[in-house]
Amino acid sequence: MKKVSITILLFPVMILFASLVADDQADFVIGQSTPVWEVLEHLGEPSPNHQVNESVNGASAEKGKDLMLIGITKKPKRGKTKKQSKHFVCTSCHNVQKEDPDLSLSNPQARLEYANENGLPYLQGTTLFGAVNRTSFFNGDYEKKYGKLVEPTRHDLRKAIQLCAVECSQGRKMKNWEIESVLMYLWTLELKLKDLNLEDNDYELIQEAISDFKGGKDFETINYIQSFYQKGSPAHFITPPENRKTGYGMQGNPENGKLIYDLSCMHCHEAKRYSFFELDNAKITFRYLKNNFTKYSHSSIYQVARYGTSPKPGKKAYMPQYTAEKMSNQQLEDLRAYIEMMAE
Amino acid sequence: MIRLAIFVILFCFTTFLFSQDFTQQTFKDTKVINTHTVETVVKRKLDVRIGHRFGDIGGGNGGWQTFYGLENAADILFGVEYGITDNITVGLSRTKGAGPLKKLINTSLKYRFFRQKNDDSMPVSMTAYGLWSISTMKQDTSNSEVLNNFPEFSHRSMYCVQILIARKFSDAFSFQVIPSYVHRNLVPFNDDNGLFSLGFAMRIQISKVFGIIVDATFPFSELRTRENGYYPPIGIGLEIDTGGHIFQINFTNARGIMETDYIPYTQSDWSEGQFRLGFTISRTFNL
Repeated sequence: MKKVSITILLFPVMILFASLVADDQADFVIGQSTPVWEVLEHLGEPSPNHQVNESVNGASAEKGKDLMLIGITKKPKRGKTKKQSKHFVCTSCHNVQKEDPDLSLSNPQARLEYANENGLPYLQGTTLFGAVNRTSFFNGDYEKKYGKLVEPTRHDLRKAIQLCAVECSQGRKMKNWEIESVLMYLWTLELKLKDLNLEDNDYELIQEAISDFKGGKDFETINYIQSFYQKGSPAHFITPPENRKTGYGMQGNPENGKLIYDLSCMHCHEAKRYSFFELDNAKITFRYLKNNFTKYSHSSIYQVARYGTSPKPGKKAYMPQYTAEKMSNQQLEDLRAYIEMMAE
Repeated sequence: MIRLAIFVILFCFTTFLFSQDFTQQTFKDTKVINTHTVETVVKRKLDVRIGHRFGDIGGGNGGWQTFYGLENAADILFGVEYGITDNITVGLSRTKGAGPLKKLINTSLKYRFFRQKNDDSMPVSMTAYGLWSISTMKQDTSNSEVLNNFPEFSHRSMYCVQILIARKFSDAFSFQVIPSYVHRNLVPFNDDNGLFSLGFAMRIQISKVFGIIVDATFPFSELRTRENGYYPPIGIGLEIDTGGHIFQINFTNARGIMETDYIPYTQSDWSEGQFRLGFTISRTFNL
């Protein structure tokens, strides 16, 4: 009898709740600028664990932007922070703009052409645009580089930011409010529906799914939306060619190689921006690079592109390597062809 | 009126400084051998420098008895230079000193106000350099004939101002002209306190790593003649850039390293074998 009374009492409450949810769904109209996460949440996808924690005092997206782009920001009370890293800022290795024409693929050549068309550098790190839409970080072979340090970061963006601050940029540990600020800024870079290159009928399909949503989780539509972007950036470390004279055995395209030299090498090495080793467009420089290409040392581009260099005490600025996803073997041969052409 | 003039000058300077496509690396280092270059230390970087000048290779003070000067030290420098901005560098160093005033503490300020541009709309780079050297020698009150008698504290000071004007003609060749003025508050009897000079420097880049560097400074003074035992300081050297480190191995007749030392006091003659091996190691750190 008691159970029946409770059920009778709860029934109108449930009806009221369901109608509120239904009203909310009906009112939610998607458009090109609708954030992807907002759409997913309306289809029952739980919020990610890197939602901003508003209770952290002194954090702001503006400060996060400062930290990422210049490495310094205002402290919550007064004064400025110490530089996060003496050697790098986030944009040394990561873009903060869309860098792939198709976010569902990791295609280095398409990215290079897109970077060239949009005035972006072509970098080792994955763009931070849409980072909050990813669910895994330091993927694949980064475990080989950072060992067990990557394990806790794989599904925790806050920890990934901290690892990047300390290991990748060889800087100081960030405080909670700084990490929260960076997170806030990253949320301003979240994916919108327009970034997914959806067709008109995709919008209709998603809108219909939202309107029809009755609770639970609409796996089908969520998976469909997520098929338009990568939830994690794949990373495969590959080796330099065994025979550095013959290289990877492909014909290089110097025009493409010039793009790599200008958008990638020069990004860090021009006027010693992030590196102590300066590169320019002088014949003398190209001759040096050409003569060292075939060597089995860090003077060889094959070697530094695939293995990078390591931070050392007193010289912590290092070069991160290019994974297969960030520079293909063909592109390395293109770079070699350009350097050889310019050295003549 | 003065404010307007200052504004116009600053406006012109900043216009040039904020323009892009500057010519890079007119010289690889902030010094050639003896002379400074138009180059400044990049913002927030610290350049730690160690310089050494051995004794005479030949002549009366050289040869086997001093193992060709390697057993003597004419001058030694320990110092740092820091980039406040990409165009303003401050420096602090200690040198042993090779002139009559020794144990020098040197502070310097360098400001690059024009930069050569690739399109030649600015054909040269120009940098102003100021140096203040203070001798920390012990005061010798027993002998009023020596410079370190120091009747007044200001007598310990020496100054140098220079305008460095350089052009990178090609990737392999750069040339620099250096009008200078050195002022010593206390000088030997019959010497002039003020001394003008004109210096020249050049770099011939052989490869990405190796370059040949040469510099010379000619003081304008009737007192500084061969007959009076003064010679223009001339240096020639090899510069090695390993990326992060610049090594310079050089030969020069100048004994002193600082401008306040080698411009007024070079009395060693190349033709008598009175030149020495020297080296400078420079290492840049991010701060």
